[in-house]
Amino acid sequence: MASNKTKRPMLKYLSDSHIEQIHEGSLDILENTGIKVELEEGLEALDKAGAKVDHQTGRAKIPSELVARSLETLPRKFAYAARNPQKDCLMEPGGQLYSRTAGSPDFIIDIDTDEWRAVTVADVLEIYTVMDACDGISILTAAFAQEWPKLGRDILMLREMFDHTDKHIHLRTDTVETFPHMLEMAAIVAGGKEPLRERPIVSLLEGHVSPLRYIDVMVNALLLCGEYGIPLEVCCMPMAGSTGPVTMAGNLQLLNAEFLSGVVISQSAHPGAPLVYAPRPMLMDLRTGFSLAGSIDGEMAAVAGVQMAHFYNVPVSVHGQWSDSVLDDGQSILEHAYTALMGAFSGANILVGAGSLQETLSISLAQLVMDDEINKICFRALEGFAVDKERLGVDAIARVGPGGNFLADPHTVQFVRGERFTPELFYRGSVEGWVEGGRKTFRERAKDKARTILKEHKPNRLPEDIAKALDEYVSYAFESLEK
Amino acid sequence: MSNILEKMQEDLYNGRAEEVEAAAQKALDKGTPVQEILNEGLIAGMDVVGRDFRAGDLFIPEVLIAAKAMHAGLEVLRPLLAESGVPAQAKVVVGTVAGDLHDIGKNLVAMMLQGAGFEIVDLGTDVSPEKFVETVRAEGAELLGMSALLTTTMPSMKSTVEALTEAGLRDEVKVIIGGAPVTASFAEQIGADAYAADAAAAVDTARSLVA
Repeated sequence: MASNKTKRPMLKYLSDSHIEQIHEGSLDILENTGIKVELEEGLEALDKAGAKVDHQTGRAKIPSELVARSLETLPRKFAYAARNPQKDCLMEPGGQLYSRTAGSPDFIIDIDTDEWRAVTVADVLEIYTVMDACDGISILTAAFAQEWPKLGRDILMLREMFDHTDKHIHLRTDTVETFPHMLEMAAIVAGGKEPLRERPIVSLLEGHVSPLRYIDVMVNALLLCGEYGIPLEVCCMPMAGSTGPVTMAGNLQLLNAEFLSGVVISQSAHPGAPLVYAPRPMLMDLRTGFSLAGSIDGEMAAVAGVQMAHFYNVPVSVHGQWSDSVLDDGQSILEHAYTALMGAFSGANILVGAGSLQETLSISLAQLVMDDEINKICFRALEGFAVDKERLGVDAIARVGPGGNFLADPHTVQFVRGERFTPELFYRGSVEGWVEGGRKTFRERAKDKARTILKEHKPNRLPEDIAKALDEYVSYAFESLEK
Repeated sequence: MSNILEKMQEDLYNGRAEEVEAAAQKALDKGTPVQEILNEGLIAGMDVVGRDFRAGDLFIPEVLIAAKAMHAGLEVLRPLLAESGVPAQAKVVVGTVAGDLHDIGKNLVAMMLQGAGFEIVDLGTDVSPEKFVETVRAEGAELLGMSALLTTTMPSMKSTVEALTEAGLRDEVKVIIGGAPVTASFAEQIGADAYAADAAAAVDTARSLVA
């Protein structure tokens, strides 16, 4: 029987032949221009797999045949597992949409004063608490306090994250030295290295430096994530006009070649390592030199990037809520609404960015709860609606007849629940009701909700024995970093 | 409270008119006083409906079918209630004012008022001041509810209030107005007794005006 569900909307810019052209161009770039790899282990893996490697210059040229072989071993389906298995997120091309917050803001908009200031430890705990409480946020991404030591702040961040959420945790790491410690911490919480591989409760995003330069942190991430079986979002972030060609197509061309080179390094060292395509096409504002995040052009390119991911049949994360605004205001709300909806309609697996401002430099608790609402709107938009004999209601229309109304018709009563999405932060009543309620703007209502969450929400803490084991490990890790 | 009345409340809440009607008859047959069936079965049931509606747990259509069920029970009790001297329901004349054909909001208010126990005389749309005055007089209505969706038809509300005064009826009837462009200050300006911003407020306001 035919499904009664409407179709999933799919936004597409590239034709099949465009996709083919971009793929061919990427193979040309990798084979003839090649990439620069700044970690010897990466060069060795490439060498062994059949790339033409110059160990002196770090340059590696990758034959098409090796690209094809690497694409074949990519896993199509895996989980972003969660400490609470009910919150697992299953990644497969064209599958369900999830959302995660953006990586590592340094500044926060103070919820009481609107001051733009450095993120403190207290802020970090509040940020995680709000993220954990919001149902529209599936995955939490790292946030750092500027008070924390530069070396090892990612370790402290992870310790707090584990204690503030039972959702999947998406990491950021700063150094080659600290990342192995973070993976050991994840293994402690997961119950060992094997359980962690089976149910990776953490994932990472890491990027090369455009154009085509694989610095040590990125190569290390590709190798270590493969070793531990941790999903890695391969962040491809050329900036049109500066680190990438100025044209929309050219920036996408470079971006795609860079993704494929990440695939080759990863799969050469650890065939079957789970990767997520993360197209993050940026633009430089060529009047000021600033990078642009919330531009419509960037989101169009990101949607095209998702099409490339679908071509390679690999899970994909797309920036959803991205803005250049310095405040959680009309600009950020508008930018987040259109980037999120376009990202959702692209058919990506993960919509990234809730709470972020100035690309991902800043965060706001009010913006977080607004974006929670935007995420839910996106989920609803993808859900569609049912079309069947009962819902079409020809009988009800006959019962009511011309000029009547459906208010108390049995058909209305039958379907009054479940056909609609009800937003939490939108005011939809009378002016009088709004005045009586204190004339609160959307932004003020968002702040109220964030404050209520902070007062009432209790994250699912780690069991005591695991918390103790983690603390001991953190002390050990810091001792070994100091050596 | 008897099991019958408890079950009646639950059936009423779920809009099961036939069950409520049967329960009312059964309670009477068992010798339950009519006032008790009314207060502890029907009115208490509607109070729960009203509470959950205000809390946002019930939708308007669910309130309306509960009200229908309440009326089904009330019909069984009505002959006995008249005998026992329970006062009749207050009558409300409603209509969309002259020049205006928008009636879904007015219909909603009428249905909600009916659910709350008022007797409704619905004049439909494009109702002239004369027609309102004539009906208020003929029906002996305690309330007049007027609706308008257009700023261009709002002045007809004023004309109707003036016509009521000229006819010597202004003190006999309370006037309540509503509609998207209508405001509390407009109500005050034209000498209406009250303004209601939505259907739930209309019911509350109507209740307080006849209390």
